[in-house]
Amino acid sequence: MDNINELIDKLAQDTVPVRPAHHPFMLSIEWMVVAGFYLAAAMMLSGARHDLLLKLHDPWFSGEIAALVGVFISTALSAALLSYPDLHQKRRIAFAPVAAFAIFVLVMLFAWRADNPPAPLPVHSFECTLSITLLSVLPAGWIFFVMRQFASTHSHWAGGIAFLFAFSIGALWLRLYEQNDSIMHVVEWHYLPMIIFGLIGMWLGKTVLKW
Amino acid sequence: MTDQIDNLEALMKQSLAGDQRAYAALLHEISRLLRPFLAKRLSFTNEVDDLLQEILISIHKARHTYDGNRPCKPWVYAIAKFRLQDHLRAHYSDQLHHADDLSEMEEYLQQDVTEITLSYESISGEVEKLPEKQAIILRLMHQEGYTAKEVAEKIGMKESAVKVAAHRAYKVLRQKLGR
Repeated sequence: MDNINELIDKLAQDTVPVRPAHHPFMLSIEWMVVAGFYLAAAMMLSGARHDLLLKLHDPWFSGEIAALVGVFISTALSAALLSYPDLHQKRRIAFAPVAAFAIFVLVMLFAWRADNPPAPLPVHSFECTLSITLLSVLPAGWIFFVMRQFASTHSHWAGGIAFLFAFSIGALWLRLYEQNDSIMHVVEWHYLPMIIFGLIGMWLGKTVLKW
Repeated sequence: MTDQIDNLEALMKQSLAGDQRAYAALLHEISRLLRPFLAKRLSFTNEVDDLLQEILISIHKARHTYDGNRPCKPWVYAIAKFRLQDHLRAHYSDQLHHADDLSEMEEYLQQDVTEITLSYESISGEVEKLPEKQAIILRLMHQEGYTAKEVAEKIGMKESAVKVAAHRAYKVLRQKLGR
């Protein structure tokens, strides 16, 4: 009991005015804006696929992009909430990526069914995963760095969701850049590796976001 | 009850503004709140005190994640539960580790732990390279002839813990001496 009193006195003596962290909604908007600039810069450097405007008239392609944007927004929001010990008392919103991924999977299923006759598979394969990973490494590192300044009590989930957010930036970039219409290829080499990426994020989150 | 909650939030707001007295009052209030919560979940008073200290430090570190515009109690309990889980995880993994050692030793415990086929003098150089506690145990058992029970009493450990430490030391020595 004496130890507790001593500790409290010491902590009270050490205290200084503290600026409360931003609201998680503001935080996620900040992250999305920065990520948006990063994506725009990547697009400027690589260029967009030459038939992008035409493809955006294809409902399944634009549906896929919209669902991917949904994943991007929901993961940003969820990662921001997961950075707070009490999830800012908005636990339900932290589950938003579940709905976003469900919609995304549905859209991909419909897009796959609509891909008839199937578009030819491109000659390359793992290069797409590699490109997405390379583009996502920087945002993943940055978001982990920012999240370390908070106090997550769900570090593995926070890490996983943060990595999915970073990966969705890479996935968006490649989908807007690569001249490819094969849904099979996109699912296999663009989106399925997302699961592995999320698992790596969970593993890293447990160590890196520990406080 | 509402007063107490309002009080916590008001104290937290003042603390964030740098009011040291409010902060001390807040931490006292939080420890008063958490002590029964922890006591219900832990068996020993010293464990409760240790964990409570850890939780208070965590609250201090994470205080910037509270903005004063939402209830304070769920925030406090989220941190307390997180630290409690950490503590229990570490506690049980330690016990599991200990249990593994004991099961590994099941047959070994039937034997006389002071029995070693090499003379202590011939391997004393290797013994000194062991972690301090293991080296002391082996020295007491093999050079000075104490039993595991006597060593346990002498260095304030449990007899089973002494046997486990001796067993680990033998394992290392066996590997080093290629036997």
